[in-house]
Amino acid sequence: MEQLELLQHTDTVNELLARYGVKFGIYKNNVFKEQLFPFDAIPRVIECEEFSFLERGLKQRVMALNLFLKDIYSKKQIVKDGIVPEDFIFASSGYMAECEGVMPVKGIYSHISGIDLVKGKDGTWYILEDNLRVPSGASYPMIAREFCRRSSPNTFHDNHLEDNRNYAALLRRAMDYVNTGGHTVILTPGRYNAAYFEHSYLAEKTGAHLVNGSELMVEDDKLYYVTVDGRRERVGVVYRRISDEYLDPMNFNPESLIGIPHIYDVFRKGNVALMNAPGNGVADDKGIYYFVPKMIRYYLDEEPILSNAPTYLPFYEKDMQYVLAHFDELVLKDVAEAGGYGVVFGRSMTKAQKEDFIALLKREPRRFIAQEIIDFQDLDILESGSVIPRKADLRAFVLMADEPVVWKSGLTRFSRNPDSFIVNSSQGGGFKDTWVLSQ
Amino acid sequence: MKRLCFNYYMKIDYSEAVSLCHFTIKCFPKNTLRQKVEGVSIALSPAVPYSIGADSFGNRQIYGRDDIVHHSFSFRITGRVRTGNDAWEEDADEDQTAVFRHPYGLNRAGESLWAYHDQIAEELPEDVYEKSLSLMHRLYHDFNYEKGVTDMHTTAEEAWCLGKGVCQDYAHILIALLHMERIPARYVTGMLIGEGASHAWVEVLYRGRWYGIDPTNDGPVADGHIKIGVGREASDCLINRGIMHGGGTQMQTIEVTVSEEKT
Repeated sequence: MEQLELLQHTDTVNELLARYGVKFGIYKNNVFKEQLFPFDAIPRVIECEEFSFLERGLKQRVMALNLFLKDIYSKKQIVKDGIVPEDFIFASSGYMAECEGVMPVKGIYSHISGIDLVKGKDGTWYILEDNLRVPSGASYPMIAREFCRRSSPNTFHDNHLEDNRNYAALLRRAMDYVNTGGHTVILTPGRYNAAYFEHSYLAEKTGAHLVNGSELMVEDDKLYYVTVDGRRERVGVVYRRISDEYLDPMNFNPESLIGIPHIYDVFRKGNVALMNAPGNGVADDKGIYYFVPKMIRYYLDEEPILSNAPTYLPFYEKDMQYVLAHFDELVLKDVAEAGGYGVVFGRSMTKAQKEDFIALLKREPRRFIAQEIIDFQDLDILESGSVIPRKADLRAFVLMADEPVVWKSGLTRFSRNPDSFIVNSSQGGGFKDTWVLSQ
Repeated sequence: MKRLCFNYYMKIDYSEAVSLCHFTIKCFPKNTLRQKVEGVSIALSPAVPYSIGADSFGNRQIYGRDDIVHHSFSFRITGRVRTGNDAWEEDADEDQTAVFRHPYGLNRAGESLWAYHDQIAEELPEDVYEKSLSLMHRLYHDFNYEKGVTDMHTTAEEAWCLGKGVCQDYAHILIALLHMERIPARYVTGMLIGEGASHAWVEVLYRGRWYGIDPTNDGPVADGHIKIGVGREASDCLINRGIMHGGGTQMQTIEVTVSEEKT
C-alpha cells in the first residue's frame, strides 16, 4: 500500500480540500472555530467478500432498528413482551412523546443511518454505535475521492475498487421515495453549523435546494418554500440537518430560531416527509444499543450477523456486580452524552475519582453502560513522511428507500493522538478514504 | 349531573405592532364518560384561517399563523357541557399508559420530595385508587395554596421546597408522588365552576381506567369540573402557545367563566 502513487499527492489533495472549504466547525469556550479535517491518503481497504459480510449485517441491523422505532411509537410490543424494560424507553432523552401514534411517510424512520464499527485485532468487526438522528460524514470520503481521482488518475485505473460517487444518487433515491409531492430541500441551521460544508455539498450533488428555516413556511397544513420573489412552492421532503428539539418551536423547544413553526403538524398529517423522522434518538441511545441484538432476534427472527462490543448494563444487578468486579478493564459511557464526551476508562481514574464514579453509578445505574475495551486494529497513517499506526473506526452509511442499501465506501476516522481510542472528529481526528474492492 | 356553560377568553395586547405570529390553541373539552360536549364555538381576532388537528395525547388543537400586522390577539371559546359526578373519565388506551409512569419535565422530583415520600410511604393503603386519594389528602394537608410564588416553569421539586403554590404545582407534586409508587398519572387542564381562571388536576390509572382527582380541592373530580386536555405535565397541554415577531411588551388578559345552566 505504501507504494501507491496516490501518496505522493497527499499535499495536493489536502490543499484542494482546504480550497474547497472542507472544514469542520467546533465550538470551544464559546468561540466558533473552523478546522480543516486532515486527510490521510493511505486508504482503508476492505476486501469485497468482507464488505459483503458487513453489508448483510448492516442491512439487518437497520431493518431491526426501523421496526423497533415503529413499534415504540405505537404498540410497544417489545416492551410488553419483556425484551426491553420500559425504563430504557421513557428515561431516554431521545424518546419523544410527540411522536406517539404518528407514522412517517411509508413507515420509514431512519432514511440515513450512520453505523460506527471497529475491527478488532482478531479480525472481528464490532458495532460501536448507531447514529439514526442526523449522522454526518458521507461528504468527506466523497469529495476526498473526487480529489484523489483528479490528482492521481492512475491509482484508480490500477486498483479495482467500488466507485463511491453513487452516494448522491442513493440519497436522492431515499428522498424521492418518500416525497409527498413538491420540492426536495436540505434544511441547514446555517454556516455556523459543524457540518455546513456537508449540507451545501450534498445539496449540490443531489440537486436539492439548500434552505434555512426562514425560507420555509407552513400554511393550511402544507409546507412551502418561499422564493426570493415571494412565490410559495410546495415542499414534499425535507432532509433536515437540524436536531429534533430545534425543528419546530411550536411543538418542541420554543426558543428555537432556526426551526419552522408548525412543520411537525404538517408531518403529523402526512403532508411532508422529514428525513430522518423525529424521535429516532430513542433507538440510537447508548442504553438501547445493548438491546439491538435482541431486537434483531425479536423482529426478524434471525441471529445478528454483526456483534456488539461486549456491553453491560449496571441497571441489571448481575451486570452491576460484574462492572464493579472488573472496573479497571472497562470503559464507561454516559448514555446522555455524544461526540466522544462522557467516556471514561476505569483504569485511568485515580482512587478518589473511582470512588466518586462508583457512587454515581450506584445512584443512577440507568445512566451508564460499561463495555469491554476492544483492542482494535491500528491503521497506518502518513505523518511527516513516515508511516505510523493509529486507532481508527469506520462509519458505514445505510440508505433506506424500498429496501436498505449500504454505500460501498464510508468514513474512516483516526485518532491523531497515539494513546487515544477516541476517534470522533469533534475531538480533533483525521479521516481516510474507504476503499471497497470490487473483486 | 349538571349542564354547564363555559366561556374561555384570552387576549394579548402588544405595545408595538406584531408583523407575524404563530399560534396553537388547545382549549376544547373532549367527550369522556363523565362529560358530554354539547356544542363549542370559537372566535379568533384577527379572524385568520386555522388548521384543525390533535396532538399525540389526543388533545384537539387549532393552529395557524397571522401575518396581518396586529396590535392584539385574542380568542374566545364558548360551549355547553353536560357533566357527571363519576370520577371515572375514560378507558385507558393500554399502548399509551406507560409513558405516564415515568418522571418528565416539570413533574420531576428531587431529594426533598423523595424524603417526603419516604416519610409518608409506609402508612399508604394497598389499593391503587385508595393510595392515590391518600397521597392527595397528605399533600392537601402539607402544602399551601398561594398565588404568585410559583410560575409556569416551576418544577414539582421547587414548589415542594417552597411549600406553597397553585393548582399546577399541586398537580405536579402529586404526579411525582404517584410516580414514586409506580402509578401512571397524568396532568389535566380544565375549568372549574366558580373559578375565574383555568384549573389543573390529576388523573390516575386504576384498573384500566383514568380517574380524575383534584389535589387543590382534595377530592375526586365532580360535576363542576370541565376537562380540557391531558399530558405528562403542564407544558404538554398548554391552552395557548405562540411566538411572534415584534410586539414589544405584552399584557395578557384571561377571563374564564363556568356557570350552571338552569333548565
